[in-house]
Amino acid sequence: MPDDLLAAPLARVSRAQLFTSFLKMGLLGFGGVLPWARRVLVDERRWLDDREFAELIGLCQVLPGPNVVNLSVIIGARAQGPIGSLIAVTGILFVPVGVMLLIAMFYASVAHEPLARNAIAGASAAAAGLIIGTGMRLLLQTRPPLRGLVIGGAAFIAVGVLQWPLLSVIVVLIVVAVALEGHAARTEGKR
Amino acid sequence: MSETLSALAEIAARFATLSLVAIGGINAIMPEIHRVVVDVQHWMTSAEFAELFALAQLAPGPNAMVVALIGWKVAGIAGALVATLATCGPSSIACYVAFQWSDRLRHSKLRTVVQRALSPLAIGLILATGYTLARGADRSPGALALTVIAAAALAWTRVNPVWVLIVAAVAGAAGVA
Repeated sequence: MPDDLLAAPLARVSRAQLFTSFLKMGLLGFGGVLPWARRVLVDERRWLDDREFAELIGLCQVLPGPNVVNLSVIIGARAQGPIGSLIAVTGILFVPVGVMLLIAMFYASVAHEPLARNAIAGASAAAAGLIIGTGMRLLLQTRPPLRGLVIGGAAFIAVGVLQWPLLSVIVVLIVVAVALEGHAARTEGKR
Repeated sequence: MSETLSALAEIAARFATLSLVAIGGINAIMPEIHRVVVDVQHWMTSAEFAELFALAQLAPGPNAMVVALIGWKVAGIAGALVATLATCGPSSIACYVAFQWSDRLRHSKLRTVVQRALSPLAIGLILATGYTLARGADRSPGALALTVIAAAALAWTRVNPVWVLIVAAVAGAAGVA
């Protein structure tokens, strides 16, 4: 069903599966969790397909708060209710925060090493590429119609290239996108 | 001690308010957090703030973890915990409530229209995030090449992203980036 936000597989997910999946996304998410969220949720666990994932990320970006934390709240809730949300957020956020604090304490001792700096420069460049690749993959898999490409392209140029304030851009583009989509739905309905 | 407590209270109040206006994610409120932490409270210099930000980007986990590092720098482990809870708590509760509400609209046409409208917008914003990160990271042709190769690997192959990062780190250590 295209109007079902989250498909049936999620209802059978146990608390342990929920925790290990979100822990994996959190602990492997160097430079951002999004590429791993798509890989684990869509490719490995098959709890969502690409289209559901893109729609859910869209919803998470419109809601306030960190996007991947919102994603964990929603998927955790669908699988196991409020406890599920807590389990997913613990896996993806609180455990990695503990690891990060250990890294921060260790950081001072290696920060001056040129080898460490150069390795980190290489990893940062690739981490940016992984986010771009995730966007490209979603674009190729969901194949949005022309009106979607216009909205997505406008978001990319305004926020990425021109660095305009995100909030105003999102508010304007949501209104335009919903109006265009609503118009298209009405036109299809008449045929 | 009372100074630490007042710093914790300040972090809790400021970050919890920002949590509810962080539309589009944590990067939307970073300029405001910078203003409060550096200019208003003088908890750290702008350079220290930038260092914490880079560290949070490179550690595994959501980019939002930078608030934990800021809290840690200001008030130790308690600061990290308070900053994380304040930044993610209010928005998570709002998200839970919004999801329950949208679930009741499962068969409404409006929800389908909104979902379809948001999907390409989200993809555009993901690409914008990648582009912004790349602008910061790609200071040499070698680094740019690593970004392009990583993007292509993720878009068209099923290679494990960890290998991409490891290879890029080794290439960086060898002087490519």
